[in-house]
Amino acid sequence: VSAPAAAPTPPAASRVDALRTHPAYRFVTGLQRRGPFLQLLALVLLFVYGTSAIPSFDTKFNIYSMLFLASLLGLAAAGQTLVILVGGIDFSIPAWIAAGATMTVQLTGTNGFHEWPFAVGLAVIIVTALVMGGLAGWICHDFRLPALIVTLGMAAIVSGGILAWTGGFIDGQPPVWLTKLVSPNAHTFGWGFPPLVVIWAAVALVIGFALHRTIAGRWLYSTGSNPRAAALALVPTRRVWIGTFALSAMLGALVGMLLSGFAGAGTTAIGDPYLWNSLGAVIIGGTAFGARGDYFRTVLGALILTELTQIMTGKGYSLADQEILLGIVILVVVAGYGRDRRLRDRV
Amino acid sequence: VRSFGARQFLRTNSYAFALLLTVVLLVANIIALPEFVSWDNIPGDLAVFAPFALAAMASTPSILSGGGGLDISVGPIIALINIVFVVDLMGHGLGGWEAVPILLVLGTALGAVNGFFVTVLRYQPVIATLCAFLIISGFNLKHAGSPVSAPHNWTADLAEKVGPVPGALFTILAPVLFWILLKRTAYYRTLYAVGGNDATAFSSGVNVYATRIIAYALGGLFAAVAGIALTALTHNADANLGAQYTLIALGAVAIGGTPIGGGRGGLVGSILGAATIYLLQNLLAALHVNVKWLFVVYGILLLLGLMIGARLVAPPRTRGAT
Repeated sequence: VSAPAAAPTPPAASRVDALRTHPAYRFVTGLQRRGPFLQLLALVLLFVYGTSAIPSFDTKFNIYSMLFLASLLGLAAAGQTLVILVGGIDFSIPAWIAAGATMTVQLTGTNGFHEWPFAVGLAVIIVTALVMGGLAGWICHDFRLPALIVTLGMAAIVSGGILAWTGGFIDGQPPVWLTKLVSPNAHTFGWGFPPLVVIWAAVALVIGFALHRTIAGRWLYSTGSNPRAAALALVPTRRVWIGTFALSAMLGALVGMLLSGFAGAGTTAIGDPYLWNSLGAVIIGGTAFGARGDYFRTVLGALILTELTQIMTGKGYSLADQEILLGIVILVVVAGYGRDRRLRDRV
Repeated sequence: VRSFGARQFLRTNSYAFALLLTVVLLVANIIALPEFVSWDNIPGDLAVFAPFALAAMASTPSILSGGGGLDISVGPIIALINIVFVVDLMGHGLGGWEAVPILLVLGTALGAVNGFFVTVLRYQPVIATLCAFLIISGFNLKHAGSPVSAPHNWTADLAEKVGPVPGALFTILAPVLFWILLKRTAYYRTLYAVGGNDATAFSSGVNVYATRIIAYALGGLFAAVAGIALTALTHNADANLGAQYTLIALGAVAIGGTPIGGGRGGLVGSILGAATIYLLQNLLAALHVNVKWLFVVYGILLLLGLMIGARLVAPPRTRGAT
């Protein structure tokens, strides 16, 4: 009588498969499918680490100033989120930030070219950004050109236009009330909370509502996931592209306006740090090209990125070290949720 | 009905429109400033053009390999090669010809790491190369935060003349020659197959991962050549100079008729795209367009050129964007 045959030895990949079928793994991936669970976890863990590693990290002052910086970053990344959802990418945001800042100080501030009433200046800024941003969206859509290169061309026109208009001499100062409004120490209607953060929260709610609860939001997602199918389903894809790029330019210009108040001046380079940072916030949040993600994820991404920067500055890292660490951290964070499907699963 | 016309030619040859623009702009440059093509100026013109053309070439293979393969890290790799060459190799007596293989291997390895992250680890190309961009730029800043000037060395010839031949031709044509040799291999066809549709290529037994990793490695190799050409031009190690090539190189690739989706286009188109941008900037300077307006005019002409090109090449119209 022979012994019962031994169970066949599992193939070599079984350890990975064992991990994939482990209840804990399934629990986490299940949660992640419902929402940005790992992003929230990263946010909390970073905060706990920051509190333990850096003195006065969890003071009210520091938390407010982090929220304030995250607001600027999050608002700058709002347009990028929409454009990436629809399947494009916008490299003209820094140019629009510079344009918004420069136009604010030169049109409505003191010591600029004009001292127009603020509402007039604001209208000029918004209309300019909407028209030119929309033009970029139209060119991308109707000529089927890559958004990357079209927005780069538009960025050259916008920042060149600012240079030609001001001749490089930007002496204006933003209106005093704007400087007071855009400060981490400002009050919201007597409540000691930075108004900018309240503005950001309001913007996030509006964008979130528009994306998830309106027809325009549905159009945006369907255009992003498959433009041809969307067009065949009578989604006005042209209007979606024009609208998205117009909004992105406008949001960029408005961030520029706010930044001019924060910096107390407008410069042509004021938007440069936001080129890769805003993209980083969108990516860390977990929004990907072609209708995966939403703005709440970008909000989380902006908060995570700001926390990280604050921790690295607190630990005394140089700018170069910060850049290296940021690259590594994005890799680690995105490893948790932002990767593509396996090729063999797509066949 | 003509079955073959100018329009058909434009459609079937992705680089044709960039070629047309290059010829028109070259003629315009010569009319505006006849000295542009004088025997004394050509080597200098080409030397300025070389790092730019090579950056565009370095961006091409990863885009061809599909999957939205934008390689944002090309600029920092160029800067890294430039810095390693000047600071580390020349500083330790390795600045001669022996530096070339070291630098080429370094660039290729960095590109291959990008490819590894994109394929095996399944990061989106923009994310993987953005991280590479950040990490390599950080390293560059640490290593050469302020420009380091290089001693006089052999690369000077590459920016001037080697015998009677403009030296920059060697750096520009090296990847082209490599590409022509590659065309004779099966790899070239698998690259386009993978770029066209990776799932189909995978089902037909193509090793998609290896193909893509090699594509990114090729980008790193060409970026290394660009770093050498940049060193020849500037005789400096500068962390900021190379990084500027990233975005403009992607623009050159787009004008050269290589769609971001992959699987179509090629290296020649990218050179012509780079030539278009370079000649356009040169022409604006030669025409004494007020420096204040330079960027505006450049941006408008770039967009107009792309739009006209898209209309000429456009296949029969179907609704919907890409």
